[in-house]
Amino acid sequence: MTPNRHGSAVIEFPNELEIVTTREFDAPIALVFDVLTKPEHVRKWFAPFEDKMTVCTIDLRVGGNYHQVFVTDDGTECSFRGTYLEVEPPTRTVETWQFEGWPGVEALETVELHETHGVTKLTMRLAFRDKAGRDHMTKSDGQESSLDKLEDYLRSLLDAKGSVSG
Amino acid sequence: MSISEYDGCVARASTTSDVFNAIAEADRREILDALMAGEKAVGAIVNDVSMSQPQVSKHLRVLSEVGLVSCRAEGRRRLYRLEPARLRPLHDWLAKYEQAVNDRLDRLDDYLRELQLQGEQQ
Repeated sequence: MTPNRHGSAVIEFPNELEIVTTREFDAPIALVFDVLTKPEHVRKWFAPFEDKMTVCTIDLRVGGNYHQVFVTDDGTECSFRGTYLEVEPPTRTVETWQFEGWPGVEALETVELHETHGVTKLTMRLAFRDKAGRDHMTKSDGQESSLDKLEDYLRSLLDAKGSVSG
Repeated sequence: MSISEYDGCVARASTTSDVFNAIAEADRREILDALMAGEKAVGAIVNDVSMSQPQVSKHLRVLSEVGLVSCRAEGRRRLYRLEPARLRPLHDWLAKYEQAVNDRLDRLDDYLRELQLQGEQQ
């Protein structure tokens, strides 16, 4: 097999409301789509090793909901929910995203896959409904938010991605 | 001033008065890169980047407004310099975010490899 592509994610901020992440995988598109959208697969890679995933449900159809809950090593629960708006296996899903820790913040997540010569490119676009939502992510300095909160932010964002996918 | 405080004093911060957005624009990042080496006059910045002088001046105005560059007069010239302290919170945040995103996608990568290896063995 080819050498791994660890650390190769490209993260871009095309405007003040969006974050776009791209990453390539040496796997066929159908497999990548399954691993992103089937709970039995998502449970295998989504959570960091030290965390437990207590809920992972995915009703992969337009109007279907997903729900994912993590428990971090200090016992904090992180819960993410959303509803699928578009489901087009194996190339695309669009879903809403909400994190219980950030009441009132909503984002729309678009996951797209494209295969070229056996390499599948994953593009995840997270679009916040308004600037206040995005600012939840970047308030990383000093007094206002502790490092712990920042970590929660990060976790929720990533979980957003996972739920996207997951 | 923190980003959040900044938003507090500008009720509806326009696109160009947001630090995050100021650096989201590739041309402005190029200018910041050019200033990494030290203080420069507009003419010297124009030489370093692939933009016209009016474009550079426009971006410098945006970067000054959010405090990412400061400016002082020396004779007839105006010298611009980077204020890296203003970038620190964003830099720290970005580094953590990139790390977290990469960790998750690397786990996905490993899992995909594992599955394919199992498939080959069967």
